[in-house]
Amino acid sequence: MAKPSDASTNSGFSGGSFSGPSLDQALENVASGDREAFAEVYRRTSVKLLGVCRRILPERQEAEEVLQDIYLTVWRRAGAFDATRGSAMTWLITLARNRAVDRLRASGRRPTDPIEYADHVADPTPDAETQAIALDDAERLTFCLGQIDSTDAGLIRTAFFEGATYTELAERVARPLGTIKSRIRRALISLRECLA
Amino acid sequence: MTDTPGLEDLPDDDLLAAELALGLLDADTANAARDRLRIDSAFAHAHARWTAWAAGLAAELGETPPAHIWPAIVARIPANDDQVANARLRRWQGGAVAASLVALVLGITMWQRPAPAPQIVSVVQAPSAPMVAVLSGKAGVVSVNYDPASGRLASVVDGLDTGQRAVELWVIPADGRPRSLGLLPQSRAGWHSAPAAAARALQPGVTLAVSLEPPGGSTTGLPTGPVVLTGKLAQAS
Repeated sequence: MAKPSDASTNSGFSGGSFSGPSLDQALENVASGDREAFAEVYRRTSVKLLGVCRRILPERQEAEEVLQDIYLTVWRRAGAFDATRGSAMTWLITLARNRAVDRLRASGRRPTDPIEYADHVADPTPDAETQAIALDDAERLTFCLGQIDSTDAGLIRTAFFEGATYTELAERVARPLGTIKSRIRRALISLRECLA
Repeated sequence: MTDTPGLEDLPDDDLLAAELALGLLDADTANAARDRLRIDSAFAHAHARWTAWAAGLAAELGETPPAHIWPAIVARIPANDDQVANARLRRWQGGAVAASLVALVLGITMWQRPAPAPQIVSVVQAPSAPMVAVLSGKAGVVSVNYDPASGRLASVVDGLDTGQRAVELWVIPADGRPRSLGLLPQSRAGWHSAPAAAARALQPGVTLAVSLEPPGGSTTGLPTGPVVLTGKLAQAS
């Protein structure tokens, strides 16, 4: 059975543009209490993670508080990072996203505003020129999200960054749950084909 | 793409993994799916792949944190993470003796009394801010004074039954890897220059440890004999 250790699980952020040890290695060193490694992880990732926090929690001070909590969790729980399951950057972004969404939910300020929704799914228009360029995983995702219907891509982003489930998305676009679920699943299948 | 009736109910593990990674599932379904991650490696693999792609949604995001954030994070971490340092110590030395805060406080008080040996007094009176540690355990007490200005490490070994073994002093910084600070003279006060590499780790709050080693000291760079005493370095004043 395939093990999740192949490079395709890397989201493309931990790549070789940095000098010194890899981010994966630095995060593993944090697990053994290495403060210099912790500072290195912060230096390399805090811009990205604050960006994630601000996307989910628009209020700056709240996002910064959550950012602090996230790095304290990184310090205490870096041992839970498993490089065979994905890159350090993926682990950190997922942690940041989950923390910020938890905060959003706990505050009771979860977005409920209507989402613009087009019932007609636009046909994908393959962009041959871009396809020919070698893309890293993050670029590939951006490209593939651009290939699917913009409403679908918007729903997927809303799910991730606002913690909106199928049920909540259906409420916000004022369509039946089955319709929304079917539509997003179809979009995920297209995404999977594009990403493969 | 053709319309697929009933797609919403199509059993597709890979799509379920995607839905879990993106946060689309309601709590009950999500919890059931999370349980599967532990027992179904193919499902866990699919989830890991979708999680990496989901993280890619953050590709265009970024905002530089203000400068005060990092010091605020560091301030919320204990000066020396006992849990990490002690776990490391236990890994090397099954019988590591835990440092006693009470002994440390008592020890500092003892240290501040007139020291028995003249050369120790001179070290204590060094002009820079010296640091002290009292390493205690059932085996006895070792007092250590470190003067950052001169790099001198002074010690008093008291009541330590070492047999034929050498008394080696170690610093265990936050990375958990002991660095040797050299051998301590037994049954008398003495001082030596701290090795430069290990001296950098001599900061307030760091853990020191004493192990009993073969004559001449450990040859491996790590404690090989029992760790009999531990304590923490603190500002003397």
